Amino acid sequence: MGKVFVFDAAQCTGCRNCQLACKDEHVDNDWSPIALPQPDTGQFWLHLREKVRGQVPKVKLAYVAHMCQHCDAAPCMQAAADMGRKDAIYKRPDGLVIIDPVASKGMEHIEDACPYGAIFYNEALAVPQKCTGCAHLVDEGLPPHCVDVCPHGALRFGDEEDFAAEIAASEELIEGSGAKPRVHYLNLPKRFLAGVVVDLEADEVVIGAKVTAENLDTGEVLVEQTDAFGDFWFHQVAAADWRVYVEADGFMTRAIEASTKEEDRNVGPIEVFAAMA
Amino acid sequence: MEKNVRGTSIVKGLGFNSFGIGSNACTVDIDEEQDKILRIRPFHFDEHYTADELNAWKIEARGKTFEPGFKTLISPLSLSYKKRVYSKNRIPYPMKRVDWDPAGERNPQNRGKSGYERISWDEACGLIAAEIKRMHDEYGPEAILCEVDGHGETKVVHAAHGSITVLLDLCGGFTLQSRQPDSWEGWYWGAKHIWGMDPLGQNSLQNNIIKDISENGDGVLFWGCDVETTPLGWGGYMASRLCKWFTELGILQIHISPDVNYTNAVHADKWIPVLPNTDAAFQLAIAYTWIKEGTYDAAYLETHAVGFENFKYYVMGGEDGVPKTPKWAEAICGVPSYTIKAFARWWAQHAVSIAHCNGGSYIRSCFAHEPARLEVALLGMQGLGKPGANQFKMLEWTLFGIPTVTPLPPSTVIPNIGAAYRGYITGTKPSFIPKTKIPEAIMNPPVQWYGHVSAGLPREDQFTGPFTFPAEGKSRIHMVWSDTPCWETCWNGGFEMQDALRHESIECVVIQHPWMENDCNFADIIIPSNTKFESADIGTDSDSGQWNVVFYEKQAIKPRMESKSDVEGVGEIAKAFEKFGGIYENIYERYMGGKTYDEWIETGFDTCGIPEGAMTFEEFKEKQYYPFPTREDWKDIPAGLIQFHDDPEGHPLRTPTGKLEYYSTSLAQNFPDDAERGPVPRWVAVSDEHHERQSTERGRTYPFLLVSNHPHFRVHAQHDDVTWLREIETCKVVGPDGYRYEPIWVNPIDAGKLGLKTGDIAKLYNERGGVLGGVIVTERIIPGALYQDHGSRVDSIVVGAGGEGLDRGGANNLIAPTACTSKNTVGEVTSGFLVNIEKVDVFELAKRYPEAFERPYDPDCGLIATARVEQGEE
Repeated sequence: MGKVFVFDAAQCTGCRNCQLACKDEHVDNDWSPIALPQPDTGQFWLHLREKVRGQVPKVKLAYVAHMCQHCDAAPCMQAAADMGRKDAIYKRPDGLVIIDPVASKGMEHIEDACPYGAIFYNEALAVPQKCTGCAHLVDEGLPPHCVDVCPHGALRFGDEEDFAAEIAASEELIEGSGAKPRVHYLNLPKRFLAGVVVDLEADEVVIGAKVTAENLDTGEVLVEQTDAFGDFWFHQVAAADWRVYVEADGFMTRAIEASTKEEDRNVGPIEVFAAMA
Repeated sequence: MEKNVRGTSIVKGLGFNSFGIGSNACTVDIDEEQDKILRIRPFHFDEHYTADELNAWKIEARGKTFEPGFKTLISPLSLSYKKRVYSKNRIPYPMKRVDWDPAGERNPQNRGKSGYERISWDEACGLIAAEIKRMHDEYGPEAILCEVDGHGETKVVHAAHGSITVLLDLCGGFTLQSRQPDSWEGWYWGAKHIWGMDPLGQNSLQNNIIKDISENGDGVLFWGCDVETTPLGWGGYMASRLCKWFTELGILQIHISPDVNYTNAVHADKWIPVLPNTDAAFQLAIAYTWIKEGTYDAAYLETHAVGFENFKYYVMGGEDGVPKTPKWAEAICGVPSYTIKAFARWWAQHAVSIAHCNGGSYIRSCFAHEPARLEVALLGMQGLGKPGANQFKMLEWTLFGIPTVTPLPPSTVIPNIGAAYRGYITGTKPSFIPKTKIPEAIMNPPVQWYGHVSAGLPREDQFTGPFTFPAEGKSRIHMVWSDTPCWETCWNGGFEMQDALRHESIECVVIQHPWMENDCNFADIIIPSNTKFESADIGTDSDSGQWNVVFYEKQAIKPRMESKSDVEGVGEIAKAFEKFGGIYENIYERYMGGKTYDEWIETGFDTCGIPEGAMTFEEFKEKQYYPFPTREDWKDIPAGLIQFHDDPEGHPLRTPTGKLEYYSTSLAQNFPDDAERGPVPRWVAVSDEHHERQSTERGRTYPFLLVSNHPHFRVHAQHDDVTWLREIETCKVVGPDGYRYEPIWVNPIDAGKLGLKTGDIAKLYNERGGVLGGVIVTERIIPGALYQDHGSRVDSIVVGAGGEGLDRGGANNLIAPTACTSKNTVGEVTSGFLVNIEKVDVFELAKRYPEAFERPYDPDCGLIATARVEQGEE
């Protein structure tokens, strides 16, 4: 039965329990033959990466867990084979990819083979290391430590069959890697485009205005309404150049341009002007 | 090699509220053979008990269901605690300051600068006992100041705080450092005077508020509240799950704060940025909008409030000619008036509650009682207590053992192991000094204040006094004995405290602590305490929001190095007393109360509230826990303030009139001339002692308001040495010299103007001194404000007040105002105060201050215990 991880960015609150649990499990603990101890600092078999999105006053944080993807076409296994050290990295029947701490001794630079940056060379012990899926616990019927401590079920682990719906909806951390990863991602952060519509003359926000965002690259058109605070939000949109149209009863239509190419965008206040009767 | 991967599983309460009231139940897997901790993981309530036995609760609303789950939702601060136990900053053995000679020159001026030599436990205890005896003989017991109030581990039989007082109570007494409500100042000093709510000032009637909001609420305001941070030391992630639940139900979550805290960043539907400590202006403009537009509940106020006309008169400008309009507020708080109006209208049209987590500029700045009172004033104007409209907390769900402060379904019993507690029990003492006034009391006695200052006393206590230290005919302070050595980095104006600890009047400073940090560096004698992993104890967790539980805490590992538990260490000093005879005769036996540690644990088991006959002590030790089921009648408990709402005469508040007092008669009577805390809540710009506004003359010299929340990666001063936290990119900023500096958040607009970029090292400063930090340019803080968490370990470059003081660690409490919240209160002001910032060249500083910059340092752990050991290091 194949095991998979599922990470849902929409559920993750960035607590880093997963990252710390990995340390707690593997630093100073020798789980041979699965893994030797992880160095205390500087290497992250699971790394929760944080990104600040937007500008004041529309700012969010996004978190994504980066770890070994336990690929079915693992580039590291291929690289090891190419180096004539096929035994150094193996795939278990349950799909977990393990770097054998004995057979991989001294294999520097194998980390270059991983497109995810998930392998680390432990200088002190002279072995390449990475997430083992806590195979030593899985073999005892226990969950990986990182999964056990996630308060929101943002990081889950289990049988492939039980996650069919999630896998169908998932994306890869790096699309098109060809590595057939067994870590499946949901709701990876894209961009947001947001702002507030105001009538400065009246010193009021404009509620219920129709806001249309036109993707200038693809022609795609999205529509939202301003809320009770005059705010509009387009979530999970593409990185693109946009034209934003604001239409409201009694006001002249405004259009402004904005870009989410580089980062999420708060366009700030869009001032609208009362139409003459 | 065949291994038992699970190890032996035991239970530890890894909360950090410092006292016997436990929290954060965790399962700890240990390897007994190798005497090591394997891992820390969630505790499972259902290991020995079924869902039926627990009477598992669930909340059903709007077609959805919330269940608490059967394992604890542990926090990173618990999960990473192994690193605290094995920290390089653990004090290895007893030490004495090299230039402190009790028979000769004591060199008080060198405290904080000079190094230490290793001594034996016998020598340390002999010295301490002799010093105490000398105090008793020469000055009287009041000359000994005991600092026993916290920021440490939660333990019971081996209490981390206060065993000192257990001993000194047996031989004449002491002077108590009396800790004020440091995390919830504004509500304590302010909100109480509008709605009673003893003892906290925050809502003390919180039962079933989560159920009520789930069913009836439209929105929740988070006024500086950081659910993803503040509860981590005493509760874990149930509160975070509640935010997710509100999102699932479509309940709007609005954050009002200068910073994008960790909750705002992931749960908020809207952020209203406000300049630090200007919330009162924002609140008054909301009241103005409601009054002007007639959108407040006038009928409710008729029957539920007194003095509303006085408040209305003030808001509309009758008193000072200044109507508190949204435009007026905009110029103070930085929120556009159109947003204030839109927000006020939305609130008036919806059932809105307010969530709190303590801390931040909203509640820990000067005049903090005003925003706290105004918040209640606004809740009252919209029918406080109506379905969906209350105030509730996201942590401390059984604080002080109060059954009505949990907003979640309560368990049958809040277990109380007070009978086994071997530390200081909160209360009053004949000789005491408010913690905020310690430096002044040491250096410039006498000092005077109102109230007994014990964080949990009724409103009326604020009017008792004035008290004076020293009392007539009694001694000033000549000795300090602390198990709470974090004053500098957690209280108000730490540079003054550095001077106090170096004052010529202080003949001896004794500190017991597991880690060599903060005030430890000012000690003459240091004895090494240990962590709760190193002894057996009994614990409770009543703050998970799931089920209350009592557990047996088996010893995980042998004591590290030469450490002893605080209670054991003080016991050694008791033994050293006995040779003096007289009042010290047989004092160890008396100190231990005639019981062994195991018998004390059994006393806790016998008296904690486990129903008679439920299990024997032996069974308790074997199963390791006993959970209390959810109350059968939990759904019938009235929600929040609904009874006051429905029947204010039958269910009055604890104010003098029983109603919401928009005009506080007791403030008017007791402090008629108090311009900072008058009878009617108001905007206070400045006072004689506080000029912390950007609009003042000082604001031109120090143009930024510093936001200093409860830290995200620490519990106050605790956890600053945890390597796995310190390596997180946003926990510390690696300087060009490799030192890990405490982050300072700077908005890109200010950073551009000041030429600061991420990774730069900068100095935050005002006339009280400076602290360094590592710049992170970020949109998480608004222009005009800077952000640095409090509680980073002090790493002195230049010691002392007077403006020259400089700290490398980023302990910004050092430069916080020394003056209290207002003249008739003794609250601390530790956020929302003025500073300036400038880039520094650390290599230049290193040349100028070689001693400080060459001190041994480990970037992973930060400061290390042996850095100041000059002799005897192994």
